[in-house]
Amino acid sequence: MSEAATQAAALEPRLRAEPLLEVEHLTKRFPIHRGLLQRTAGYVHAVEDVSFTVGRGETLGLVGESGCGKSTTARLVLKLIEATSGTVKFNGRDITRFSRREMRPLRREMQIVFQDPYSSLNPRQTVGQIIGAPYAIHKTEGSRKRIVQELMDRVGLNPEHYNRYPHEFSGGQRQRIGVARALALSPKLIVCDEPVSALDVSIQAQILNLLQALQRDFDLTYLFISHDLGVVRHISDRIAVMYLGRIVEIAPADLLYSEPRHPYTAALLSAVPKGRVDGAQTGRIVLQGDVPSPVDPPPGCPFHPRCPKAHLIAGKDAVPEVCRTEMPPLGRLSQDHYAACWYPLEPGDELERAAHA
Amino acid sequence: MSIPSSDVLLEVRELDVRFATPDGVVHAVDRLSFSLRRGETLGLVGESGSGKSVTNLALMGLIRGAQISGEALFEGRDLLSLPADELREIRGKEIAMIFQDPFACLHPMYRVGDQIVEAIRVHSDVSKKQAEQRVIELLGAVGIPRPKERIRDYPHQFSGGMRQRAMIAMALVNNPDILIADEPTTALDVTVQAQILELIDRVKTEFDIGVILITHDLGVVADVAQTVMVMYAGRGMEVGRKDDVFAQPLHPYTWGLLESIPRVDQKVSGLRPIQGSPPSLIFVPPGCPFHPRCLHRFSPCDKERPEFRDRGGGHAEACHLSADDKKRLWAERQSRFLEAAV
Repeated sequence: MSEAATQAAALEPRLRAEPLLEVEHLTKRFPIHRGLLQRTAGYVHAVEDVSFTVGRGETLGLVGESGCGKSTTARLVLKLIEATSGTVKFNGRDITRFSRREMRPLRREMQIVFQDPYSSLNPRQTVGQIIGAPYAIHKTEGSRKRIVQELMDRVGLNPEHYNRYPHEFSGGQRQRIGVARALALSPKLIVCDEPVSALDVSIQAQILNLLQALQRDFDLTYLFISHDLGVVRHISDRIAVMYLGRIVEIAPADLLYSEPRHPYTAALLSAVPKGRVDGAQTGRIVLQGDVPSPVDPPPGCPFHPRCPKAHLIAGKDAVPEVCRTEMPPLGRLSQDHYAACWYPLEPGDELERAAHA
Repeated sequence: MSIPSSDVLLEVRELDVRFATPDGVVHAVDRLSFSLRRGETLGLVGESGSGKSVTNLALMGLIRGAQISGEALFEGRDLLSLPADELREIRGKEIAMIFQDPFACLHPMYRVGDQIVEAIRVHSDVSKKQAEQRVIELLGAVGIPRPKERIRDYPHQFSGGMRQRAMIAMALVNNPDILIADEPTTALDVTVQAQILELIDRVKTEFDIGVILITHDLGVVADVAQTVMVMYAGRGMEVGRKDDVFAQPLHPYTWGLLESIPRVDQKVSGLRPIQGSPPSLIFVPPGCPFHPRCLHRFSPCDKERPEFRDRGGGHAEACHLSADDKKRLWAERQSRFLEAAV
């Protein structure tokens, strides 16, 4: 069997797995208050009409630039903030309107690992207390110390360091503490919010390998958020790309990187320094301008003011009518490959020329 | 790749920086040597604490309370022994710097244009009008649209990418010979990073300057640098032309770095991280500072300091392994790496 076929076969059951997390039309708008009376002057459209599913044992990567709504999506999924509209289903149950009390038993099943291993650990608690805290809150029976030490061993920490404080650990080790805390109650879903962004590359690889090993051993499902396209490709089965609060493309990882169909995905991928020895930085699409404000997102497709493909279709500095007026739906292009674009990329489209035109 | 002309702008020899702290002496830079030519971008790459930023702060005389030794020759003068007032003349004029965080580098209460005008008038005797004209020109040159109007803006009205452009414009106002860019794109999103890297490269050619680019991102270095210096624990581990360093890396630390980065353009099934973490600069391991984490260490590594050796064509490294061993080991590691990918 060819390499690709083997990989596809390996991926199949995971992609087809029954969903653990189903998100439908999720929207979050933060009101902006102005003036003496604190009247609502407008809204930050942080997340707009986002839908996706994550299968059991799958890793869904969520990528995008700062302010695209990926972290807000994570917080909505965990119900750390309330959605404006849309639904979140976990394990088949609609949890969108669950009260705090109703959420409590579910909290053990959904955990989070944060970006910054410095600010997410209480400096005045020992590692044992930090990792053991979930057991205290959820009143698990048994010898807590022994369980915590086993967990420490599993994530690559020395169990003898049970009584040490966070400042005695390096950044990578602290992130291991954060991972151990998330694992404590045997969760089903772990939201990883930029878990390796604050770490040096040699340490980053250690944590990524750890997360993958834990996923295999404990049958975990990850929602993995990152701005680093290399990291996301490495760890994800499928990837959703976000821009200005919306998912613009979603596809199996390899497919997304080999055949991006949304012009934004293509631009994002081409912008990453590849470290090619031959110096062949071919086809970099340098986008013009900045991401528009989510307070006042452009009408139609949110990407149309910067879209190189739009110029390819309509000519220099012009944009097709439909892109300016109508939001493209997330359409299915092939099995498992969806993109929200009126004119998805076709082989042979030369975007870098269009971008520079 | 353009061939760098031969005139050397900056020659750093045996730079050594130590800080006395209550916990002990931090040996931040340890006998580091490199040179920079006109028209060349030198990438200084390393992880946090490798000494790459301290190196440049030391060159610019921006560190207080450190013991600094060595030489840094710029136009026949040694930057490290110049009196403060002469160094101030050079800094910001002949050698300019841009930093990681464009948010922290602009004063929030002053208009962007006025801040750049000030940078001109500190170093040359021109009227405010003339200076402003030059600022408008430069802001246009670094790709800020409608520069005539934008000079009246305050920093908060600029996006992150635009602020970094403004910083680059400010660095260029006095026609420097050298631009030192310390992690210039680390705080920026990847599409904006691409814009800024392209700008730095264009500026280097148009203004015919030398650029020292400090970064932790090997991909950035591979994209824009002609020469690469890999640093670890305050020392140079490997230096050479970019193509040589990436195609035939010679130091086990460089190997480890290359193998631990997840790639966008290929999928590998297992990253091979470097075990352990970088050492404290107060207790740097004896011998080669990388030996506790090195997969190929042998008898001399924990005792003798490996000296820099040129392996031909300006490609030099500091490692005890013989050239033949390196060739064999790197080939083995690569085949194992690719095997894992299949």
